[in-house]
Amino acid sequence: MLKLFGKNFKNRVFIASGVFGFGLKYRRVSNRVGALFTKGITLEPRSGNPPPRIYEASCGLLNAVGLENPGVKKFVKEILPRIKKLDTKIFVNVAGFTVQEFARIVEEIGDNVDGFELNVSCPNVRHGGVQFGRSPRTCARIVSAVRKKTKLPVIVKLTANFCDPLSIARSCIDAGADGISLINTLHGLAFDITKKRPLIVGGLSGPAIKPFALYCVYRLRQLKVPIIGGGGIVSARDAYEFILAGASAITLGSICLRDPYAPLKIIKELKKFDNKL
Amino acid sequence: MNLRLRIEKKFWFNRNIFGLQLYLPNINPVPGQFFQIEVDDGIEPFLHRPISIASYRRQRLLFIIKLRGKGTAILSRKNPGDYLFLRGPMGRGVRPRRGRSLLLAGGIGIAPLYLLAQQCYSAGIKFSIIYGAKSDRELILKKELKKLTHSCFFIVEKGKGIKGTVLSHLKNFPVADYQYIYACGPRPMLIELQKMKLPGQVYAFCEDFLGCGCGLCLGCAIMVKKTYKRLCTDGPVFKLKELNFQNYA
Repeated sequence: MLKLFGKNFKNRVFIASGVFGFGLKYRRVSNRVGALFTKGITLEPRSGNPPPRIYEASCGLLNAVGLENPGVKKFVKEILPRIKKLDTKIFVNVAGFTVQEFARIVEEIGDNVDGFELNVSCPNVRHGGVQFGRSPRTCARIVSAVRKKTKLPVIVKLTANFCDPLSIARSCIDAGADGISLINTLHGLAFDITKKRPLIVGGLSGPAIKPFALYCVYRLRQLKVPIIGGGGIVSARDAYEFILAGASAITLGSICLRDPYAPLKIIKELKKFDNKL
Repeated sequence: MNLRLRIEKKFWFNRNIFGLQLYLPNINPVPGQFFQIEVDDGIEPFLHRPISIASYRRQRLLFIIKLRGKGTAILSRKNPGDYLFLRGPMGRGVRPRRGRSLLLAGGIGIAPLYLLAQQCYSAGIKFSIIYGAKSDRELILKKELKKLTHSCFFIVEKGKGIKGTVLSHLKNFPVADYQYIYACGPRPMLIELQKMKLPGQVYAFCEDFLGCGCGLCLGCAIMVKKTYKRLCTDGPVFKLKELNFQNYA
């Protein structure tokens, strides 16, 4: 049992945004994890990027899905009533393209969920996303705009692309954020050598980025808010390392693509490292 | 379904194509369905490999795999007695429709169509196969296919056999006699086939790099009519006329 933001979580294993859709497909897994971060929700529906969207990299993968989602209206009307029935905490990943959009999406969803994760770190969209996440001032503006609209926990998902997450985390906390989650994917590129042009420009995830993600969590341990750490965790041992580095909870991302049941195994094995987890 | 199965037999059809036979009772695979096969139990290669079901007879699954990259190379080093971890059957295939059918296979595209041919044969559906490859060595399962239908055409770009490609052979072929056409081959073949606007209902068996293979990651987008569908769960078999290949030009 874990107490964070005044709520009780079943365990410290959370599922990262984007790898489990809305958690409706593998319910047995969704119902067992501490919390589930939904696929990023934008104000308007988005069809996502043209293919190819996914490409394997050494010890990980590149993705450029581009926030494909039904938009907040359809999400509230059709998907939210169904995911509320899941026996886990639901955090909606919110992806605005302007400061106001973040506030509007949060307002539309209201208090039907357990909290929000502000996505200021998506590398796969042309505007917003990672551009917001690099600027401490913009992040602070987004957090305070959202803060005015909700009393629920607000977590900011930070990027570590070409910036120092520590200074950005500080400004988010000063603006009223309840927690920090990191890291989102890192910029990456795969080349098509026959066509002599990039095959995919996307975000790198998986074990390839784990040491870097672990360092980022370690760097943020001095902060006084819960840190939800993730990046390349594939085993209970990896998860335990993140917890030792200062994470209150951990998120599983790419490993779910390899095996959607992996979270169950990690939850079970994490107990071997520390019974209190 | 997560499975751990022992490899019963391994075949080399030629230097590049091999088959793995596994015992898995009581499934009813639909042609086009695939399994996500774990290549290595470590983290490299990270993703599983989607491999279509090439045959299911006497409770035995057969995968026919062509060496393409590091994943398939590692799989090719597995031997009878080794265990494979796999998830499946995944995806929505297509059952053979009643009516005269034509199977168009380009290269390793024969794999899912072999299962379709078996099921057509068992259902007593009349069908023909046009199967093309780079050379006669690349053509596999010739004997087995001839047992299933008398109407087999083996096309090669060089070597023994009818010269040309599947598409060039189609130009002088009585396509109008066929109600249903099933095509599996490289993407350029499907694109050209779409331009030919064949009279029958054409089902395209598509391939792509997959992330999860089960509809979670949205990584295998394919444009169907005007929206993106997931190749893994909405496909991999689609009606060819509904596919939109604009981004592949």
